[in-house]
Amino acid sequence: MPHRLLRFGLSKKYNEPRMFRSPEQLKKSYDVVIIGAGGHGLATAYYLARDHGITNVAVLERAYIGGGGTGRNTAIVRANYLTPEGVAFYDESVRLFQDLSADFDLNLFYSQRGHFTLAHSDASLRTMRWRAEVNKHLGVDSELVDTAFIKEKCPHIDLSCGGHAPVMGALFHPPGAIARHDAVAWGYGRGADQRGVEIHQQTEVTGILVEGDKVTGVQTNRGTVETSKVVCAVAGYTPPLLEMVGIKTPLVIQPLQACVSEPLKPWLDTIIVSASLHLYVSQSSRGELVTGASLDPYPIHSTRSTLDFVEGLSGHLLDLFPFLGDVKIMRQWAGLSDVTPDFSPIMGLSPVEGFYLDAGWGTWGFKATPVCGKTMSYTVAENKPHPLIEPFRLSRFKEFELVGEKGAASVGH
Amino acid sequence: MKIMTCPVNGPRPLQEFVYGGDLTEMPCPDQATDEQWAAYVFERDGAPGLHKEWWYHAPSGVWFIAERDTGTDEICRTYLYND
Amino acid sequence: MTDPIFIERLPAAGDEWIDRDQRLCFSFEGRCHRAYAGDTVSSALWGNGVRLLGRSFKYHRPRGVYSMCGHDANVMLEDGETPNIRGDTTLVEDGMELTAVNTVGSLRHDLAGLNDRMSGFLPVGFYYKAFHTPSWMFPNWERMIRGIAGLGKVNPAAEWKPSPKGYDACDVLIVGGGPSGMAAALAAGRAGGRVVLVEDTRCLGGSLCYAGATAPESAATVNSMRDELEKLENVEVRLNTSVRGCYSENWLAFIGPGGLTKMRATAVVVATGAYEQPAVFRHNDLPGVMLGTAAQRLVHLYRVKPMQRALVLVGNDYGYGVALDLKAAGVEIAAVADFRETIGKGELVHDVKTAGIEILAGQGVYEARPAGGLVGIKGARVCPVNSAGTGLSTSATNVNCDGIVMATGWAPAGDLIGQAGGRLDYVPEAAQFRPGELPPGMFAAGRVNGVFGVDARLEDGEHAGGQAAAFAAGKEVPARRRPADEITAPSYPYPIIKHPKGKAFVDFDEDVQVKDIVNAVKEGYDSVELVKRYATVGMGPSQGKISNLNSSRVLATATGQAVGAVGYTTFRPFTRPTTIGELAGRRFHPDRRTPIHSRHQAAGAVFMHAGAWLRPEYYGPLVRHQAIVREVQAVRRRAGVIDVGTLGKIDVCGADAAEFLERMYTGRFSDLKLGKCRYALMCDESGVVADDGMSARLGDDRFYVTTTSSGSAAIVREMKRWAIIWGLEVTIIDHTGQFGALNLAGPESRRILGRLTDLDIGADSFEYLGFRQAVVAGVNCRLMRVGFVGELGYELHVPAQHAAVLWDAVVEAGQPEEIMPFGVEAQRLLRMEKGHQIIGQDTDALTTPLEAGLAWAVKMAKPFFIGQRSLKIIAPRPNVRSLAGFVMHDSTVMPAECHLVVDGDEICGRVTSIARSPTLGQVIGMAYMRPDQTIPGTVIDICVEGRLVQAEVVKLPFYDPSNERQKS
Repeated sequence: MPHRLLRFGLSKKYNEPRMFRSPEQLKKSYDVVIIGAGGHGLATAYYLARDHGITNVAVLERAYIGGGGTGRNTAIVRANYLTPEGVAFYDESVRLFQDLSADFDLNLFYSQRGHFTLAHSDASLRTMRWRAEVNKHLGVDSELVDTAFIKEKCPHIDLSCGGHAPVMGALFHPPGAIARHDAVAWGYGRGADQRGVEIHQQTEVTGILVEGDKVTGVQTNRGTVETSKVVCAVAGYTPPLLEMVGIKTPLVIQPLQACVSEPLKPWLDTIIVSASLHLYVSQSSRGELVTGASLDPYPIHSTRSTLDFVEGLSGHLLDLFPFLGDVKIMRQWAGLSDVTPDFSPIMGLSPVEGFYLDAGWGTWGFKATPVCGKTMSYTVAENKPHPLIEPFRLSRFKEFELVGEKGAASVGH
Repeated sequence: MKIMTCPVNGPRPLQEFVYGGDLTEMPCPDQATDEQWAAYVFERDGAPGLHKEWWYHAPSGVWFIAERDTGTDEICRTYLYND
Repeated sequence: MTDPIFIERLPAAGDEWIDRDQRLCFSFEGRCHRAYAGDTVSSALWGNGVRLLGRSFKYHRPRGVYSMCGHDANVMLEDGETPNIRGDTTLVEDGMELTAVNTVGSLRHDLAGLNDRMSGFLPVGFYYKAFHTPSWMFPNWERMIRGIAGLGKVNPAAEWKPSPKGYDACDVLIVGGGPSGMAAALAAGRAGGRVVLVEDTRCLGGSLCYAGATAPESAATVNSMRDELEKLENVEVRLNTSVRGCYSENWLAFIGPGGLTKMRATAVVVATGAYEQPAVFRHNDLPGVMLGTAAQRLVHLYRVKPMQRALVLVGNDYGYGVALDLKAAGVEIAAVADFRETIGKGELVHDVKTAGIEILAGQGVYEARPAGGLVGIKGARVCPVNSAGTGLSTSATNVNCDGIVMATGWAPAGDLIGQAGGRLDYVPEAAQFRPGELPPGMFAAGRVNGVFGVDARLEDGEHAGGQAAAFAAGKEVPARRRPADEITAPSYPYPIIKHPKGKAFVDFDEDVQVKDIVNAVKEGYDSVELVKRYATVGMGPSQGKISNLNSSRVLATATGQAVGAVGYTTFRPFTRPTTIGELAGRRFHPDRRTPIHSRHQAAGAVFMHAGAWLRPEYYGPLVRHQAIVREVQAVRRRAGVIDVGTLGKIDVCGADAAEFLERMYTGRFSDLKLGKCRYALMCDESGVVADDGMSARLGDDRFYVTTTSSGSAAIVREMKRWAIIWGLEVTIIDHTGQFGALNLAGPESRRILGRLTDLDIGADSFEYLGFRQAVVAGVNCRLMRVGFVGELGYELHVPAQHAAVLWDAVVEAGQPEEIMPFGVEAQRLLRMEKGHQIIGQDTDALTTPLEAGLAWAVKMAKPFFIGQRSLKIIAPRPNVRSLAGFVMHDSTVMPAECHLVVDGDEICGRVTSIARSPTLGQVIGMAYMRPDQTIPGTVIDICVEGRLVQAEVVKLPFYDPSNERQKS
């Protein structure tokens, strides 16, 4: 029994303070307005307050804290990307994640499991080696491993893959981890709130005021506020907000689905991903199998589930773990992903002064949460892009300087 | 599973179709500025609402246009490109 | 082994679900029990006097029968093969050996039961508040927590069993075979059209099967309706079939005896009934405390006497019927405690009074008094409730009983409505959620629709059936209307009594107590979604079916809102957990085989997957490396033949065919002469290399084009689209699956081919990059003189049915020259010696032709081709990387494909192809590097497992730079 729990048993009163206040009304003006109280928006607020001393900040949330991508992803954290730009960025995120529970004094169940991306063909084996080599060159722990190694770390896997497309090897990334995704938003929310940031839930942005080429304020269903800086951190809900300021991007919104099994005693310690099978799976600390596939094949702004998804996923789960036939799927759900052509985010300044973009998160937003907050807060405070996100600028498209992460992110977990 | 009506083959399950992106018009390559061209190549209308989209019925090889509300996933109309 | 435990049941009754002629034996926690066929595990055990059926997830508290209809998530069993077997709904099979999941030691002596005593130290979300400092300890804590969490164990040796899947369609689907569902089926059936009625239990009747005193005439009603339904040939009834999800456009998934059925319904009537909801008080979770309908199910379906002496806690008139049923089953009724100050005047209430049962009006249960070890209860403390629903402990009185039966209200089983996009609205006067706006084609009837009286349910069902039939027939749909319902207050608004000592459970799956929700709200988790995520209400295996409503009620009180304003969490599939095996079905894994596949098998080919295709990687019996060398040498020295039937093969015909290819490909084709072919490179609109192949001119208005194997479907698709957009007179015919193809290559290939055709194939008459149509080995054949592998060679394309014949003929004709079949690996090596790129291996998702050394194939001066405008933007800039060839003088450390070309810290590029060339006797390769490094003679560093090895950049190709061999 950890001593931290003693206070609960020994006190008759429940003295836990509120995680976040719910301010009655909006102030007349803020230095920064952040749209979206997901992990990214709250992390940006947190680091703005903590590292840059900017505390007159409002985070506006249409629904509830962490209700978008933050609470719908499959909670995988990794840095084994393909491009040097991507690897540097996500590696910083992994580093920040590792200390986050201590920073927040909130247990995020950040659990380093080791992450396998299986290769079922020599072509994917080549891509895995490419990623491993780029990773190692940049100091990220990744390795191309053989089937014996996979079997040792994940003894129950059927490497013959049902005899269809046998596993030939894998990219192994020891720092790969899972975490309690909701708690990441809560932790950032509490930290920001404690430093004076206001979080306004049930507050929908209905307009963004622009004079000349400058942001001057934000209209909401609860009134209008003045501000000269707006951060757009709403992932799958980005395009309608961009319409308000007249910015065009390559973003397309596609659902990403996932599902979860009934709780089981621990049997899977690693994170297993197969791009060929469109599958990723890990076992949560509660014992559920958390699993998902690739993006739905066409754009919809709706979090409906489909039967096709869960049928296909189930078949692929059995390819790798044929003994799971009697295990039950409890629940399926979907989130909205804002996808870019090069599978890299769009971050930083925009053509509208004072309007900052944090978008293009596709299927890889959760793992970027801390670094995103760090770099976006810098970008907002300094009004210049943080060096780590410079390659992710919106203008890279018209400059034909894409950051090609498709090989590492298209089945992005 | 959704049903989509191919203008040639009639109503078929969505699994038989391939999404081909929004219907866009290519600017004249000789007249467009680099920026206009890049916008054509990369920019998309990602907002929810009624979109004119390309869809392909894979078994029969028929391309057609679907007017679909990307907010509700309602397919309002399908027709051949030249209709 | 000891004699099986068996206690005789109540006297037989007409509609019981057990077959007393069939006795079964099974074991539970090592003890033998007898059961009747038709018993569920829970009914058999409870009937045999077992009260401890399982333990809860968090505190490991004893749990017993609660709902008896699939929500008893704490009665989870395992048999060594299958984890998480639901005791309340799983039928006993003879010889079953079951244990409870998730106990430490045994169910009875569960060491983890200590958690319950420690519960004060384990408040809501306790795991967020501890275990993370010091951080090095967390992995140990996590291992412990993971071990404690989780329910059943998987058996990694369990074998996979295929499960069937079926498709079906109907005009009207009715979900639920209770009175309203049957009435709906009759109405829809009489209107014509195909009607399917799905019922998840073993017989029709729904709640009327166990209604007892609450619906005395029910048996007759059900029987006559069943008879009527049987007469309707257009109505199909599926029993033991449960609907698991409703997806867009009334696409529904059932699981039944035949596995998964996917049903397309034009109209759906949701007649799924209601989930009875528990009251909340201290120790409301212990064995002996159960829902009224659970007690009724035990009594009427399984003829089990649920307890000896019961306190019946009611909030509606229904509960009085439950009390009468129990009394009729020989249970002594200690009292009926009615939350309501003013009790009803209905018949059931009257009958209870007449029976001399004490009624405690305006009273609730303050707490249950646990029996020893918390296994069961020995009484209840009953207290008056005030208008706020708070119990007054000071005036609590003791009632001795071994069971508390709760009939305090319902929640609609509205899962399918929610999944389909419908809404449930809270109706305060009924203290119920009811369907609001329903999605098109979906109708609701009966208790799910907030209609409770039997007659009203029948009327409601009939109306909904009529609505659905009209909708399905495309007729005007009658307006929605609510029937007059004699039951106006089915639910008590706040059947919750807080207790200072806690253990008043809202969610049994997750052991969430009232105080947990209140405390979560105090911490700021004050919306229904945040409470769900923080306190885990509704996250367990029963997915909140008997907890979400009370959770919303507690949350509403804690936040000072109305229940309707608090709302409910989103309904998501599945309505019941569904096995991965049922969802996976039979698992088809289609492979594409070329028409020559059998010949490769016979020749000892080792196959590899290339996309969906199976292709020979090399031919045995030699080991891989030796086999490849042998095949390479055969091609270089004599002749070889490879199956290239996986290439995309397309006819482009029409007056504008040449113009079309000009636009699709980067090269020129309008000047391609009849009888000639040419390399064809395609870019996407951003100027990135997309595909390549050969294009041959068959006529003025006809070309034959090949594509890469993996690209063929997409290229055909895109060609068809552009043809439409450009309005060109051109037809695209995909021959990929219709044609087989092989490539005959090597210095002896002309001699071999000459034996098979009358065509003049002399070096001057059928020149390099020539194209002919001729009969070869008796088959009409398209011949291209190509040089992908760098030798004299011919690609022969024939209709698929003749491909094997042609192959046999070529192999036969090549015997004098010792022709060898060669596989993909030898081809890769041969083409690399010749410096030819493979799209996808030597290019990636962002490679332009300028970087890949393919600028020669791009005619920028043309008026237009796809990608040209983008290349015009890119071309003036210096390349970031360029593909070049290299050789290694010292190959003791051999790089692999995708090892990096580095310069200090800088990543300059990567090796895309590398091999030891048997022809040149050295290691050769291609790599991306900085453009300044591509000057022949430059030494580049390649990083191999942390070591830098050196390679010398050379001019491509490595082999036959003057092209003498392929042009010979």
